[in-house]
Amino acid sequence: MIDLSAALDGLTQLFSSPYNWLIIIPGILIGLMFGAVPGLQISMAMAIFLPATLYMDFMQAMLFLTSIFTGGSFGGSIPAILMNIPGTSSSIATSFDGYPMSRKGGHNTALGIALGASCIGVLLGYGILFLLIGPISKLVLKMGPAEMAAIILWGITLIGTLSSGSLLKGIISGLIGILIGTVGYSEAGVARGTLGSPYLLDGIPAIPAMIGMFAASELFRLVNTKYLVADVALRKVSIGAILAGLKKTITYPWGIIRGSLIGVFIGSVPGVGSSIANLISYMVAKKQNEEPDSFGQGNPAGIVASEAANSTSEAGSIATLLALGIPGGGATAVMLAAFAMHNITGGPQFIREETDIVYAIIFANFAQAALLIGLGLLFIPLLANVVKVPMNYLVPSVLALSLFGAFGLTGNMSGPITVMVFSLLGWVFKRFDYSVPAAVVGILLGGMAEDSFIYTYQISGGIWTYLFERPTTIAILILLVLSLFGNHLLKAVTRLTNR
Amino acid sequence: MTYKSHQAKALASHQIADLGILVVLAGLVVWYFLDAKSASTQILNLILILPFTVITLLLCLIQFVRQLIRPPIKEPKVERVKSVIPVISLFVAYTLTLPWMGFDLGTMLFIAAFLALHGERRWLWVAGYSLSFASVASLFFAAMLPYPLPMMIFPS
Repeated sequence: MIDLSAALDGLTQLFSSPYNWLIIIPGILIGLMFGAVPGLQISMAMAIFLPATLYMDFMQAMLFLTSIFTGGSFGGSIPAILMNIPGTSSSIATSFDGYPMSRKGGHNTALGIALGASCIGVLLGYGILFLLIGPISKLVLKMGPAEMAAIILWGITLIGTLSSGSLLKGIISGLIGILIGTVGYSEAGVARGTLGSPYLLDGIPAIPAMIGMFAASELFRLVNTKYLVADVALRKVSIGAILAGLKKTITYPWGIIRGSLIGVFIGSVPGVGSSIANLISYMVAKKQNEEPDSFGQGNPAGIVASEAANSTSEAGSIATLLALGIPGGGATAVMLAAFAMHNITGGPQFIREETDIVYAIIFANFAQAALLIGLGLLFIPLLANVVKVPMNYLVPSVLALSLFGAFGLTGNMSGPITVMVFSLLGWVFKRFDYSVPAAVVGILLGGMAEDSFIYTYQISGGIWTYLFERPTTIAILILLVLSLFGNHLLKAVTRLTNR
Repeated sequence: MTYKSHQAKALASHQIADLGILVVLAGLVVWYFLDAKSASTQILNLILILPFTVITLLLCLIQFVRQLIRPPIKEPKVERVKSVIPVISLFVAYTLTLPWMGFDLGTMLFIAAFLALHGERRWLWVAGYSLSFASVASLFFAAMLPYPLPMMIFPS
């Protein structure tokens, strides 16, 4: 399973030049910065700095890009915890408990936990990748559109059940999100729901919609608040508390392992990974916890579950990229461009012939995890000061930043207008107990869900019994039903056996 | 009007609004389906939209009946809505005028207006903060983005 001589070659290559290590530090810092600024994306950072990789060899280019990825994955959790703005879609679940912890003055601990879970997640993720890159690539090859559609439906259902209010409203939110995600041109070549606007032909910009629903709508709710953290004494930024949070992470070993396994597996599914892994991990953690009601109120286990999964989903998506040459999302798509710039094609042949480079990337990521702790500890205190800023200054500043970021994502006014429209929708949703996360994930995955339906229809020739020939699909659908009715079924079975 | 009757009235209007939102959401789903159907009735066009519309409407109906039988008893904070409306209006105006005012001037005016709306009366401070934030943010994004950022004062 492990090619020891290739692993040794990988290590030799890695230590052959100090530049291999020097490029990792700016990479992590760039990732942290782009992840932490609302509206800027990891994929954007990688795309902006992609031309710089022309002056590097292929391995250095990959080390640089993966270090941006690693820094960005954690960086996204900083605004999620401090401002309820998930920096990326993979930090959505981090905000569920991170933000309530911040509001109670636990921002230092929450950031420390997120940093700890991210670093251990990266280590575990690449560790799993080191051991299982072969089997993972075979498993991913078996995931067809039917399985992807089932995973998306499962994800949306899970998010719907996450809402603290009405389960029905949660599922309605997810379904509406999916429908919004299908706006624009269809496979049939016609435009739907665009209201005649050319800006909407490619669909509603998903990330600006996410920024609007999560961030802007939350800021509207905070206009009467004086500070993010009400208690003056709790507002201080403390390295000690961040370190305590870091240490606290290791008191959740099962949460990290479970999150990491979910992250690697879901992360390796092209396109679905990063957005869904953190949510599924969070949901599973909530279901298995003795106090599920404490989730969403500031339970550290929620942050651990989300951060462990989103960090390991990086390793999963890189596994798919290396093993199959298929990018799992925006960031890995930029990496694929780096492959092309260096005349390299990912896929089974690449794994077979360039195993040493694959191992070098994996080993470098172990080092990146350690560096992330150091750089994160330097970077977090600067950003954690946000809790000291009065809300009447913070609210308009972040609202403005979200419009800048949205413009950056779309390159035209459709981004800012999407933020505006979805901030109103998000505010209405929150006020009437609809699930904002479910709607957001629906918007992110709606187009992909539709594509999966279409490909399944085309492959099966319209014969739906085809689904019964796909055991993985059936297994995922069973998981979907269990996650909806599992508790009721368990209670019914217990009642029957007691009789 | 006593505090209790005021609260009861607020709760009743919240319940009506809750039902209204459900109806509006269902209406939007129906509109989207009809729009998609009028574009094309091919399976490829409606393969997801049709079943998801049906399921959503069914769930909306169940929720509607539920809310009629057992209305939500959570007390709404009406005063919050009153204080949020000016902020929302300001944000909408800021967004819609960006193409003409540019990100630099638009952001400066938005932040200054927001601060004034929230009781900041140190005018020098208002001007200084809004000007410096708008300048730094617009210059940073103009430098980082690969396309021109609409600007009024600074070069895009």
